[in-house]
Amino acid sequence: MPGGGRCPDCGSTELVEDAHYSQSQLVCSDCGCVVTEGVLTTTFSDEGNLREVAYSRSTGENEQVTRSQQRGLRRVRDLCRVLQLPSTFEDTAVAYYQKAYQHPGIRAARLQKKEVLVGCCVLITCRQHNWPLTMGTICTLLYADLDMFSGTYMQIVKLLGLDVPSLCLADLVKTYCSSFKLFQASPSLPAKYMEDKEKMLSRTLQLVELADETWLVTGRHPLPVITAAAFLAWQSLQPSARLTCSLARFCKLANVDLPYPASSRLQELLAVLLRMAEQLAWLQVLKLDKRSVVKHISDLLQHRHTLIRKAFREGTLEVEALEKELQGRGPGQGQGKEEVGNSASELPEGKRPASPALLLPPCMLKPPKRVCPAPPASTVTGDENISDSEIEQYLRTPQEVRDFLRAQAAGQAATSNPNPP
Amino acid sequence: MTPGIPIFSPMMPYGTGLTPQPIQNTNSLSILEEQQRQQQQQQQQQQQQQQQQQQAAVTTVTAAVQQSASQQAPQGASGQTPQLFHSQTLTTAPLPGTTPLYPSPMTPMTPITPATPASESSGIVPQLQNIVSTVNLGCKLDLKTIALRARNAEYNPKRFAAVIMRIREPRTTALIFSSGKMVCTGAKSEEQSRLAARKYARVVQKLGFPAKFLDFKIQNMVGSCDVKFPIRLEGLVLTHQQFSSYEPELFPGLIYRMIKPRIVLLIFVSGKVVLTGAKVRAEIYEAFENIYPILKGFRKTT
Repeated sequence: MPGGGRCPDCGSTELVEDAHYSQSQLVCSDCGCVVTEGVLTTTFSDEGNLREVAYSRSTGENEQVTRSQQRGLRRVRDLCRVLQLPSTFEDTAVAYYQKAYQHPGIRAARLQKKEVLVGCCVLITCRQHNWPLTMGTICTLLYADLDMFSGTYMQIVKLLGLDVPSLCLADLVKTYCSSFKLFQASPSLPAKYMEDKEKMLSRTLQLVELADETWLVTGRHPLPVITAAAFLAWQSLQPSARLTCSLARFCKLANVDLPYPASSRLQELLAVLLRMAEQLAWLQVLKLDKRSVVKHISDLLQHRHTLIRKAFREGTLEVEALEKELQGRGPGQGQGKEEVGNSASELPEGKRPASPALLLPPCMLKPPKRVCPAPPASTVTGDENISDSEIEQYLRTPQEVRDFLRAQAAGQAATSNPNPP
Repeated sequence: MTPGIPIFSPMMPYGTGLTPQPIQNTNSLSILEEQQRQQQQQQQQQQQQQQQQQQAAVTTVTAAVQQSASQQAPQGASGQTPQLFHSQTLTTAPLPGTTPLYPSPMTPMTPITPATPASESSGIVPQLQNIVSTVNLGCKLDLKTIALRARNAEYNPKRFAAVIMRIREPRTTALIFSSGKMVCTGAKSEEQSRLAARKYARVVQKLGFPAKFLDFKIQNMVGSCDVKFPIRLEGLVLTHQQFSSYEPELFPGLIYRMIKPRIVLLIFVSGKVVLTGAKVRAEIYEAFENIYPILKGFRKTT
């Protein structure tokens, strides 16, 4: 009998706790009046421990592999198989993906980013094993945008704190050239265009090394340089038959895409070869141009180390500017520096090898597109007076404001009523 | 440093104890103490000279102070908000009627380190290209009114939730948000950035808002320079792998993340270097002095 409880109807103190089904009730045993009822449902505070929690905030996510992670891991394995990578690469790439997935930023990323992440993990694995795989290849396979790929790649390298070695140029040359469809006879390939793989590979490698030494590779995408070098190598192996073939046609025959910068790389490489040719006595007399120098590429490559040393000299922009200034003063005087060096050879003017050019990257040899004058030294303190007139020039007069509002209203009326009567 | 001497005097020469010395410097305590003593002497001298000069010019400055009354104190003769004192204000203009204490603004002072030979200094000074700063105008703003009544404002709420305002002198752009916060970009020096921010605040004031000038802070400084010789980026990424990121397939430059000071450098094959991420000018100079010997090491071709 609970103390202090009185039935509101009859006033008796005989209250009994009874349960009507699952509902607890306090009933007066005299008149049967139900004094209090228990609640049928639990309150929010009662349910403290039973409340629903979003999956992303539970630890269930850490304990089991989520569906999207499973999908990603499957994609990683698929990509490795498509690229025909060794099986050890697969495990490493999967491990990187799992490690990346532990970071909340990646876990909550969009599906597009997770897809690109698959490519990033495979790329990092290949780079670390010196397997030449370009980002362009992966983007093509994943139908991904290179911008998206680059952002995710930089992010994941930073996040995982990885040391990713650079792309190995020699291996890339071998892999890329092997993909050219020039080494076997086919109905679309004329007989004179077919080439031996080993010869072409070795010559392309030498040309790429030459490009590297003469600053044509640093800072540039490697693939266009390799394409240009492969084209020159192929042409030089049978120049009589192949000089008429253009770079675009060559790529079509070889069944590879022509990268856009490849033609300018080709011109740069030919310019280097021409400079080297000017140092060889028996080639000077021939007065080579861009087409005829191709016939002599084998000679030039044979002596390339000596020729580079003779044809080019180190310089800086300051030295070049100084020399240009000297040349401007007088044509005879300008050659003074070089003449002193070459006077020992005692050759007449016409037969003397050309003065060495500066060995600089092309971006330093080209004249600047626009001259940026140094800003004048400013004497601003930051605390000067600001005159009212200076500020007023930035404020509209009331008349202007009215005109502007009127014009805006007219414009809106026109758009809201496109077909005036 | 002993108290009583203002550490952030605007006339502090470049290369005193606040800017860490080049790598070859010794860390011996005696040299540090000697430096500090030299600094104290110099600062005391400066203080005396400054006070003498400032007394002469105090009338003109108080007039200026009264005009800009709504702007934040301290606006005294040597007044610059504490954040700016970090910057090596070599471009500080002399007060009217006074002679400058130091020679031409852009020459860096050689560091006061007996152990460092003069040939270590590169002789190249990075030029500041861009300063980003923020300031709180301290009141809510109605962006539509500002866009309507200002000539140099553009406001497209569907594209971006701020008014974009531009002024001609110093040539800068400001993003003004409805909360009253403002971002000012495009200035070429700290003082210009501060002046520009004050001009924007004045424009907003004239448009009828009770704008103040609170918490002016330089958030980022970008500098650039040219070492004038080509750099083998492939070599650099091999030897400094933990700091460098060089992906020619993505970007032609090498991204070098220096730890001390915390600056990001973009190094290009042509020898041009872009330095960013600095909060004070000295960080940019220091970062360049740190990278220059490394770059010189890659000057020779094989």
